[in-house]
Amino acid sequence: MSERDEWFDLARKLDWEFSYVDAHAVFPEDISGTPWLPHAAWQDWDEPYKTTYTEYVTQQSAKDAAVHAVRAAIGQVEDFQKLDPAWLNALKLHAATLPLAEFAAVVGNLRAARFGRDSAWRTTANFGALDEFRHTQIPLLIMHELVRWDRQFDWTHKFFHTNNWVAIAGRHLADELLLTANPIEFAVATNFVFETGFTNLQFVGLSAVAHAAGDRMFETMVKSIQTDEARHAQIGHPVLRTLMQHDPEYAQALVDKWFWRSWLFFAIVTGFAMDYLTPLQHRQQSFKEFMEEWVLDQFQRSLLDMGLERPWYWEQFIASLDWYHHMVYASAYTYRATTWFDFVLPGPDERAWLAQKYPHSWPSLEGRWERIEQRWQQSGPGVEWHSHGATPVGFCNLCQIVLCGGTPSHNTAETLFHGGRKYIFCSEPCLRIFSAEPERYASHLDVVMRILTGAAPANLLELLRYFGLDQDLWGKDVRGGNYPWLRTAPERS
Amino acid sequence: MLVPLYAFLQDDTLGLVILVQDSDSMTAVVTNLQQAACMRVAPRAGMRVRYNGTLIAPERSVADAGMGALDRIDVVAGETS
Repeated sequence: MSERDEWFDLARKLDWEFSYVDAHAVFPEDISGTPWLPHAAWQDWDEPYKTTYTEYVTQQSAKDAAVHAVRAAIGQVEDFQKLDPAWLNALKLHAATLPLAEFAAVVGNLRAARFGRDSAWRTTANFGALDEFRHTQIPLLIMHELVRWDRQFDWTHKFFHTNNWVAIAGRHLADELLLTANPIEFAVATNFVFETGFTNLQFVGLSAVAHAAGDRMFETMVKSIQTDEARHAQIGHPVLRTLMQHDPEYAQALVDKWFWRSWLFFAIVTGFAMDYLTPLQHRQQSFKEFMEEWVLDQFQRSLLDMGLERPWYWEQFIASLDWYHHMVYASAYTYRATTWFDFVLPGPDERAWLAQKYPHSWPSLEGRWERIEQRWQQSGPGVEWHSHGATPVGFCNLCQIVLCGGTPSHNTAETLFHGGRKYIFCSEPCLRIFSAEPERYASHLDVVMRILTGAAPANLLELLRYFGLDQDLWGKDVRGGNYPWLRTAPERS
Repeated sequence: MLVPLYAFLQDDTLGLVILVQDSDSMTAVVTNLQQAACMRVAPRAGMRVRYNGTLIAPERSVADAGMGALDRIDVVAGETS
């Protein structure tokens, strides 16, 4: 039998000239992506992992065995019942947004595995698709065990199938990023920006937080997934390198668009978990510190290596590190019944920690929490509605997330009149992304338009049902407003 | 006639969609939004409606100010222009 190195490239990287059909027919530009370049432009495509199928299966099997062993030992209902209730909601948030988005990434990878322009790219994308199957199956398996204990874990599978406003935002992102993107956009958006820029490093940070919170099952799962992400994220760099040689303006536009879109969703999912849902005694760093340490330096280095500029909105992005997830969390807390997980009311110690970590923004946010605290003092524990909104909220017509851009004194929402319809956006980057490709986004109906056109009910209780929720399931304060510090806090007037 | 407006209250963390009558005065619009946001921002006196960059007189109506469905308004402290 031949040695590995003798046959490996014949299996991994084998391209040839087509004689029966034109290359454009094999790789149509509509599916393979723009710019359409002769194969010679892609022939140097390579990645560092260079895994054979046998090696891949062997490694993945071992990784799966390790996850299953941990699950058997500490992944049962009674193990999760020992965890802090606040942390469980970080888990519910991640559990819902992760697995079916990973399944959408299977589709994106498989499209690249067929229509990517070089065979080594296609081989790696094939492994990427198999990775994403794993990332779908593992959280579904682990969380399914918990459904009989807590129905909110049912949203691990249910979330993307609902019309919940977070799911509408998640689908809007995942449909474009993962399900419909051609292989070139997928490689830049998913592999380079989302995975290299955010999730690969996020999983490192998240597993450390899970470890501190005593959640060894989630820690193991996330670590296991991260090792796959680190490999298939490598697809992005060689694609982007070729793109930079032939159409650097388009490359920059894709990076600008997808960094912003990824940031908004990432800030909510991970920002909530790190700064609010992780118990104070287990927090190692703030979300902003995590971003600065793990994302900003690395991503800026990647941009520099590629000859790319920082996105045009960089200053706005840096400013939003102090504000965005705090603005959304305070808003969402007062609309918690519209979600499938519970929220923590940050107490004096937590607010002191946030004030120390966010000296620039927290003084402007403290008043919102004092007001919510006052509403709880007026109502007493158990009366959720006194600190809950009933008026519909506005949603961005690009990212579909609530209009929480900017600061309490200056909301950055922008409006646009296009094609006979008024649109509103949370920020200038969302407005510009929409304006660059209005035909891609204009017909989508956000929650407000659904209400106004009769597709969704206006009454809040009926709207909650439209969001897939009922009274037992919808989000509440994690302690029902029954905080010892709330009883002893001075009554606010 | 009911008019839905994107409404941003100074010091609040998000934009809301309020329903107003086209005959409502700006004073009524301010009250409407402050009530909608009262669990985050305590209502206070002296707030004004800003529309298309201009502070609108408290007695003017929604129709008179030219506001249409899904227009943006801001409710700000009176001295803010």
